[in-house]
Amino acid sequence: MATEENVYHIGKPFAAMDDDVMRPIEAFPTKLWWGAFGISALAAAVGITTIVYSWFVGLGIFAINNPVGWGFFIVNFVFWVGIGHAGTLISAILFLFRQKWRTSINRAAEAMTIFAVIVAAIFPLIHIGRPWFVYWAFPYPNERGPLWANFRSPLLWDLFAISTYFSVSLIFWYMGLIPDFATLRDRFDRYKANSKIGAFLLQVKAVSYRVLALGWVGSAKTWHHYEKMVMILSALATPLVLSVHTIVSFDFATSVIPGWHATIFPPYFVAGAIYSGFAMVMTLMIITREVFKLKEYVTIKHLENMAIVILVTGMMVSFAYTVEFVMAAYSASHIEQYAFINRMTGPMSWAFWIMFTCNVVSPHFLWFKALRTNIKVLFVISIVVNIGMWFERFVIVIISLHRDYLPSSWDTYIPTWADYAVLIGSFGIFFTLFLMFIRTIPSIALAEVKADETNASLSHH
Amino acid sequence: MLSIAEIKRGLFSYEEATGGFIASFKSAGDLLKAAEKTKQANVKLFDCFTPCPIHGLDHAMGLNRSWIPVMTFLGGVMALILGLTYIWFIDVLNWPIVYGGKPFFSWPAYVPILFELTIYFAAVFTVVSVLVLGRLGFISRKIPVAGVTSDVFAIWLGDAGLSKSDVERILSGLPAQITEVKP
Repeated sequence: MATEENVYHIGKPFAAMDDDVMRPIEAFPTKLWWGAFGISALAAAVGITTIVYSWFVGLGIFAINNPVGWGFFIVNFVFWVGIGHAGTLISAILFLFRQKWRTSINRAAEAMTIFAVIVAAIFPLIHIGRPWFVYWAFPYPNERGPLWANFRSPLLWDLFAISTYFSVSLIFWYMGLIPDFATLRDRFDRYKANSKIGAFLLQVKAVSYRVLALGWVGSAKTWHHYEKMVMILSALATPLVLSVHTIVSFDFATSVIPGWHATIFPPYFVAGAIYSGFAMVMTLMIITREVFKLKEYVTIKHLENMAIVILVTGMMVSFAYTVEFVMAAYSASHIEQYAFINRMTGPMSWAFWIMFTCNVVSPHFLWFKALRTNIKVLFVISIVVNIGMWFERFVIVIISLHRDYLPSSWDTYIPTWADYAVLIGSFGIFFTLFLMFIRTIPSIALAEVKADETNASLSHH
Repeated sequence: MLSIAEIKRGLFSYEEATGGFIASFKSAGDLLKAAEKTKQANVKLFDCFTPCPIHGLDHAMGLNRSWIPVMTFLGGVMALILGLTYIWFIDVLNWPIVYGGKPFFSWPAYVPILFELTIYFAAVFTVVSVLVLGRLGFISRKIPVAGVTSDVFAIWLGDAGLSKSDVERILSGLPAQITEVKP
């Protein structure tokens, strides 16, 4: 009988697991990897060049204008922060709920969180216009005053939320990596280099992993503290991840723009973040397991579980869309009502209908077991969902801003080449980082997989 | 009440595996039995080395409760109190400005920032405590026996005056491979 334990049971000797997981790090990268890396790095270069160019000529190269002051910057910012949320959900919340299937995907999902937050942070940084003064936002005693940050501003809350989220995710990820770095460190004596440069590079790698492993030897006394830490960091990361997108939504909800000033925003944003984040984990895991032959670790069952999360959060998001319309209809405010009529029928309604098709309609294919266990279908849906979620932020930011109270101040928004270049660049930076990650860091949490296998076998005796 | 000695033992129980003997096993079940036998034989200085955490091993070894949660709590409370004091200094003493007709000290608006500060310092205290109490950061440390970061489960018995035959007697009946550790 297929109980929960044996579905995820890998049943391989540990040494063979080490070989499987370390293979992408220890072997020379394939042509496929170089191809993907080349395209990603090129896209990243396009984005970074545009950003640096904007520092010389100013923000005029972007399409932001008077009513639409946020433009693509905040669309991309919210999109990328949202992507990050699935990683923390998998590493912390599913850990607290004892969901065994998270073990083999949590490392890659956490890496995705960190890279997504790095990419997200770029956008407010460019948007402030003079990124070299970003440290002014921090409340430190300074020579300009007394002049302090405004603690009542949701934008300052956001700065604190994103910085905390990034730091805590990074240390959680790194602490999780230490035992695996130690495994990697202790494998180096089996390699022989056949040239002087090869020997030097091998030495550099060996020393790097030795430093990163922090002298880990797997002592039970260290594990004893370490296990407590994993539990505590999960318990801390759980409210943290919910707070981050809540605070991002406060950037909107505490303002008075029609369509933004709504109490539904925090749960709506959190559900949307998990929805898009899981779709991105799905895209990345499907590629990783195919390219790096990790199908025994990330099985169809794992992908099916993720598909169910996508289906559920997709329906939550659909529900939030409906509630927004009901609230507008019931508000007796014709300006609020107009904002939603404009979304569906206005000059940029195409964006709304793309969002609607991708986010509300597409997840319902996942009701069918045949479809949610079909890798090709899952891959397509995961990408469609992320397109939809990008357009959701486009609808919220741009359609709401371009027409607010006074028709005399209405304007339109037409993205420029620079906006597209930075958008492409953000994907480039993200995928470049991810591809470097799978080549240098164990992409499956080996110690955790081994712990699951060991403890399952112990409880059977 | 905890005595000072108990607190010290709880905090600084880590010992480097130098001298003594290492017994290695291929299965975690055997290691658990070995840890229990070692504790029963009243060996004072011993530790286990495993590629992954094992349920019940800390109990079998008789380890004291970890102090990590206490450090987490201290970090969080410290951040909350210091953060609130700092914001109060800024908004009430140093730069009192009326925003939107609210009082100078409008605490509900401070909740998000104080929450983030609390989480941040609680997490940092937790991780630093693990590094200190778990004695990490000594990068030149060698693994006591090959394979403990891959597929070997090992126990180290380090009491002075313990001979190989003593170790064999303590672990009798278990498929142990015993080697001497050179100091």
